[in-house]
Amino acid sequence: MNKFMGNRLAIALFVLPAMLLYSVVVFWPVVQTFYRSMFDWDGLSAGTFIGLDNFKELFQDDLFWLSVKNGLIFAAVIAVFQIGVGSLLAFGVAEAHIKGRKWLRISYFIPVVLSVTVVCQLWIAVYNGDNGLLNKLFEFLGLSYRQDWLSDPKVAIYAIAAVNAWQFMGYHFALLYAGVKSIPPAFHEAAKIDGASKFRAHLMITIPLMRETYRFCLIFAITGGLNAFAQMFIMSGGGPGTSTYTLTYLMYRSAFRINEFGYGSASATILVIECLLVTLLINRLVARERIIY
Amino acid sequence: MFRKTGSLLLALSLTLGLAACGSNNDKSNESSASPSSSASATTPASESAQASESTEPVKLRIYAQYAGEDSELPYDYAVAELKKEMPNIELELDIQAQDDGQKLKTYAATGNLPDIFQAGQDIISTFKESGNILQLDQYVDSTGFRDAILPSTQNTLVSDDGHTYAFPYAGNEMILLFYNKEIFEQYGVAVPTTFDEWKTAVDTFNKNKITPLSVFAKEKWPDVALFDIFATRFDEGGVLKLDKGQAKASDENYRKAAEKLSEFVKAGLLAKGATSMNYDQAAAMFYQGKAAMFLNGQWEIDAATKAMGDKVAWMYYPAADAASVETSKLTFSGGGGPGGYAVSAHTKNPELTAKVAAFLSRKYAEYKYTQYGTPIVATKVDKPIEKAYPPMMEELSKAIPNMKTTAFAWGLSNPRFKAAIEDASQALLAGSSVDQFVKAVDKALEK
Repeated sequence: MNKFMGNRLAIALFVLPAMLLYSVVVFWPVVQTFYRSMFDWDGLSAGTFIGLDNFKELFQDDLFWLSVKNGLIFAAVIAVFQIGVGSLLAFGVAEAHIKGRKWLRISYFIPVVLSVTVVCQLWIAVYNGDNGLLNKLFEFLGLSYRQDWLSDPKVAIYAIAAVNAWQFMGYHFALLYAGVKSIPPAFHEAAKIDGASKFRAHLMITIPLMRETYRFCLIFAITGGLNAFAQMFIMSGGGPGTSTYTLTYLMYRSAFRINEFGYGSASATILVIECLLVTLLINRLVARERIIY
Repeated sequence: MFRKTGSLLLALSLTLGLAACGSNNDKSNESSASPSSSASATTPASESAQASESTEPVKLRIYAQYAGEDSELPYDYAVAELKKEMPNIELELDIQAQDDGQKLKTYAATGNLPDIFQAGQDIISTFKESGNILQLDQYVDSTGFRDAILPSTQNTLVSDDGHTYAFPYAGNEMILLFYNKEIFEQYGVAVPTTFDEWKTAVDTFNKNKITPLSVFAKEKWPDVALFDIFATRFDEGGVLKLDKGQAKASDENYRKAAEKLSEFVKAGLLAKGATSMNYDQAAAMFYQGKAAMFLNGQWEIDAATKAMGDKVAWMYYPAADAASVETSKLTFSGGGGPGGYAVSAHTKNPELTAKVAAFLSRKYAEYKYTQYGTPIVATKVDKPIEKAYPPMMEELSKAIPNMKTTAFAWGLSNPRFKAAIEDASQALLAGSSVDQFVKAVDKALEK
């Protein structure tokens, strides 16, 4: 019993620092954000309690709905690209007969370790309407598809989402590659004996067995998309106009450009709830049962 | 048992976390939200007067712009002059970040505000509310600053509430439309005096694959300035009148201005992708002869003269019609507002710090006036000009005495309106509709 209790105490002692840190750095700020969202507050003064007025105003604000829509577009673009392309590359690199697999693995991951600022500056040059690589490429191919990528309000959000999709695809690739490699080869060998093609084997064996990895990737991609900020801050400043605003950008605008920290906290609260709902929904719908092999 | 221990630990950790943050929060509220603390700080203590006279070394933290020779040279000069006048003062410079005042506001929120900091309209309004900025009325008189301020720049000294919160050094700056004389001559385009002539010029340049006007529209303040140029042709109050709530974007004159600007944008006034263009790209376009005109503040005169010599000049903004050319030509977009070197309400020695801030402001202006070729300063300078003004500045200095100005985007006092008009102007330049512009701006003005 003493030994048992001793272990419990040791566990508690080891858990305590992390729990304290988590409470102070994560839990408390979230509680504060919820609380402050009910104030008319400029970030410095005491603030006035206004109940749910910030939320009422938020739901009537066109900018809020535009931000939500942009967040969803951003999340959809990066989820489809990062998980789709990441899967294809992971399946490819996992093949034993592919040459230079180590080199490919490193190459796909390199953009992930680059600074977001560096990547954004690179893509600003690529997207340049006059001399950008992308328009030059279309020109070279004889296609009249030149675009003002970052200056067209209808295109800008997709162009910016593509940058995030490109940069962090390698992260999802690494997760998916690890998932592919963890599947015992016996399954694929059996499928091969039964005459299944590579495509069919991946469709019927690899993907279903990697449901938990996909769930994880989906949560990361979608919450990452809803939280997007850095790319629009650097590449477009939320513009042209407000066309690339997301909830995080709206929060930044409210708090730091117009000194309405209460309103900013309200949009942050909605963002937290949105991310929690998405996480909950994905956990409910994807890979509900634990897969053991 | 484990569940109980776990619950106890969780409760303990949360309590500690809450207690730690809670007490901190209380302190910050106390320090930042108490008007009485700021009020007491505005009253100079008797010992402060003694300290100012003493030669004991005093270290003051200053948060100031120090990026590029435009701000570095006058600052260095002011500090060197301070060393001669008050050798016991040591300034510890914290370079101002270009971050919409976030760093400074964070300093204020954490009770770590520097003794002296550069403040504009936004910072003054916010810090006044939270009791972080020292009211300088008495020091404006005791330091002789009020006598030194030019009659034309009184607006930079006194805020809307009739008090002074910063010692200004900059006068009323303005937006200029620079143009490349060679390109205009080459294509037989006369300097436009009306919108119709300007439109013809835009068409001619476009036909010859020259960008009519280069604007670094990724930054939003030049977008507001461009709208303001059009707005002031219909109503001399421009964006300032909107900011003060004396007009709405849906008013006839402002709607007409937005429609005219939109018409020009559709006619190809700006380069493709202008709203994602930064200063370097836009300036390079003009200086390399790819654009006929360039929009920036008068501070560009020095760089433009260096880059293009006598091939560059500035023009009066084209008027709405021939009848209003003379009446509207001296109304310029831009202008000054309350701002300059401000003093923290929590500084240990308010009188001494205010004296240093006033001194720095005057010396900063002195350098700009005597050695940097600009007459646009807030205070009188009794020293001779060492560096002659470039021809464009010479021309401008003739117009300044009778000039009327509005406001730069950063000088707008209503932050909600400021953010809205910045976004809406940029959207207008990117091709969005006038209705959207009017709706967004009016909505911001409603609150």
